[in-house]
This record gives sequence, structure tokens and C-alpha cells, in this order.
Amino acid sequence: MVALLLVNFVLMAFDARDKTTGQRVVRAWSQTAADFVQSPVTTVTSGIANYFYSISSLRSAQSENDILKQRVQELEVELKQKEDLASENARLRTILNLAEQNKYKVLTARIIGRDPSVWFDSAHLNRGGLDGVTLYMPVVTDGGLVGRITAVSPLTSQVDLITRSTSGVGAVVGQIGDSNALGVVSGTSKKDLLEMRYVPGNVDVQVGQTVFTTGQDGIFPAGLKIGEIVNVVSGSATTPHVIEIRPAARLDTMQEVGILLYQPGDKPGFDKALPNAVKQK
Amino acid sequence: MEGVRLTVALIIAVVLQWTLRNVFEPFAYIDFPLIIIVFAALQRNSIRAIIFATVAGIAVDALSGGLLGASGFAKTVVAYIVFEMARRVYLDNLLLRIPVIAGACLVNDLIYFGVHRLFSQPPAADLVVVAVYRVIGTTIAGTLVYLLLQSMSGEKVHRRKRDVFTPRRQTRRRNPIRLNK
Repeated sequence: MVALLLVNFVLMAFDARDKTTGQRVVRAWSQTAADFVQSPVTTVTSGIANYFYSISSLRSAQSENDILKQRVQELEVELKQKEDLASENARLRTILNLAEQNKYKVLTARIIGRDPSVWFDSAHLNRGGLDGVTLYMPVVTDGGLVGRITAVSPLTSQVDLITRSTSGVGAVVGQIGDSNALGVVSGTSKKDLLEMRYVPGNVDVQVGQTVFTTGQDGIFPAGLKIGEIVNVVSGSATTPHVIEIRPAARLDTMQEVGILLYQPGDKPGFDKALPNAVKQK
Repeated sequence: MEGVRLTVALIIAVVLQWTLRNVFEPFAYIDFPLIIIVFAALQRNSIRAIIFATVAGIAVDALSGGLLGASGFAKTVVAYIVFEMARRVYLDNLLLRIPVIAGACLVNDLIYFGVHRLFSQPPAADLVVVAVYRVIGTTIAGTLVYLLLQSMSGEKVHRRKRDVFTPRRQTRRRNPIRLNK
């Protein structure tokens, strides 16, 4: 018994050394093995759930159909305008010799499992190292930021959600450049709430404003939507605001996410010149 | 045979723990591997219970955002405590096993939470709320699982046979003639 306890203790101590990632051999291979169970179970259960959902939504289908027909007509007009703008944009780009490029490539992934312990918030995706996923890549949905990749196995990967208390996201209230309400967003003990700290107390912040990533944390790219402010405990000239945010992404019900194939750039030169960095060499 | 049966039950429990939360969120409050580990410990086989605890704990930790080995550590301690209790106290009754599984779940959660605090990685969830929900969920599920396991095992059949065919106590009759003498 003492030997087994010691094995567990050593594993914990080894795992706790690096708080930013859970990338361990045992974890990677266990996740790969679990994928063969989780993927079929998720496929079957989501199929059944979708079937019942489609039956329950038949009631409102008629009224929804009328609204959608009207919306389609409006969108057709908007699409035509967009096409005109896109062709104009392309012409102007050709004139300026600018290459067409997407900001980030997105890899779609399905959630095949959630954290088996209720204490932590993480999810397992059906994309892994073989699909080009690497550590620390940001994960998003159409709603907003979900989290970042903290462990990668050949077939699956693990994403730590932004609601985790140890997560930290550099954020700004409103658009970058328009606002100087900068701070750090992290998780709280409440699953559906985030907390933004270190926002100066003399900056005006209102309930209902949107919070975006700044890109200054070296992990997440700038401009990703994090959530909306639901409560502000106002600070003063010397104390910062305490801001509560509701995540924009539906973290409880999401089934599909996008992995941004984004690698943060190298840290600035002055970081590398720090004494600790020199010692590590 | 008993060992194989419990091993299969443990594998199923780990697989359920891996998958059920994605199907229905409240299932996360049931600790399936712990139920099997406590059952194994109640069979008074300490080695089996402790090995089960470590293996199942690490298997759950591998897919968790928590520390690798934390659940294994907590479950191993719980398995040993339950084994020692079962060795000293009569716990072969289902009604007596209900508080045991509830207590085991509570101790497991306290150790798990404490170990994470020790390594400066506090869990996001609130200890009291989660512990209460988990105790309720695991105790209800555990009672059902124990009923199932008992009905599958030979233990119940033996007991029923013993109840039906109880050997009658033969009282020694004294010879009345001798008594008179």
C-alpha cells in the first residue's frame, strides 16, 4: 500500500511541476485508448439526442419557417451587396498587390468527452497531434473563446476551459485601441461566470459591454470575444474594479468547436535576457 | 471468479466515468470506480482493493484536468480504511454498507481536494457543494450497484439456502427414568 501511495505521490509531484500543461506520457496514451470508447459513445448519444430534439422542435417549425423565409429574402439582398463589395475589394487588392490571406486557419473538432471528475473544467476533442494540433492552441466556438489545448495525444487533445480558476486571459473591455480597460480574465468557483481583475478603478466600465482578448498574454490572439459583463464592483483611484463576465461561448452545451492553428510568436528579447532564462541554457 | 467479475465491473465503471458526463452532466456527481473499490474492500481482500484503487484512480486522472495520481492516492487511502473497517466491524448487510459508501465518498473528496491544495492547484469547484452532491449521487448509485452485484454473486444464494435449510438445534433429552434415580 505504501508503495502504491508513493507512486501516486510521485506522479502528482511530477505533474505539478508544470502548471501550464498536462502533457504526460500516461495521459497521452490513456486519452488515445479512451478515444476508442468515447468517440462511438458520443456519436450514438448525440444521434439519439438530436432525434428527440428534432421531434420536440416540430411544434414551432411552421412559425419558424415563415420567419426564416422572410429572413432568406433579406439575406439575399445583403449577400448581393456583399458580393459587390468583395469583388471591389479584390480589384483594389490586385491594384495594391496585396496577397489574400486568412487570419488563422481553423480546424473543426468534436467534443468526445468531458472531465470525468467534476472538480475541473476540461473537454476532450477528437483531433490530435496527427491532425496538426499542438499545445496551447486556442479553441473557439461561433460564440467566443472556449479555452486552450493543454494535452495532445496522437488522436485526441484536451482543452482546459477558460472557466478554470488557474486560467488567465489578457483582456480588454471594448475594442482594442478604443479602451484602456485592460485586465486579466480567469475562472471562478461558479461554472458560468468569469472574473476580470486588475482593471483600473478610474476607468469607466458598464454592465453589458463586451470583453475581447488583447493578444498580449502570448497565448491567445487578439480580438476573440470572451463574454459580456454582467456585474461590476466599482473600484476607486487606488483599487481596481472587480468585473464578472458571462462567457460568450456556451461551454456546457457545445458539441463542436474550432481549434485555431495559431502559434504565438517568440517572447520579446528582454524576456530572454532575464537571469533565469540564461541559467536554463 | 470473484476477481474476474470485479475486474470487469471496475473496467465498466471507469468507462462509464469517462463517457457519461458528456451524455448527461449530473452523472459527473457519481463516482463509479469508487463504488466498485469500496465493494472490493468490503470483500476483505486488501491487495485487490488497493490495486483497483490505484489503477482506477490513475485512469480517471489521465482524462481529468486535475493532478495525475491525485484520485489514485485518495482512492487507495479510502480502500485501505474501508478494508480495515470491514475487518473489524460486521458490514455484510446492505443497510450497513450505505453509510460506508457515503463516508468513503466524503473522505475521498476531502483527500482529493486537500492534495490539490497541497500542490497549489485548487479545484475550480466549491468543496462543500460538490462534496454534498457527490455523496448523494454516489450513495444512491452505490446502493443500486451493490444490489445488482449481490444478486449476481453467489453470496445471496448461499444465504438464502442457509435461511431455508437452517439445521435444527438438537436438544439433548435426558432419560426420565435416570432422573428419577
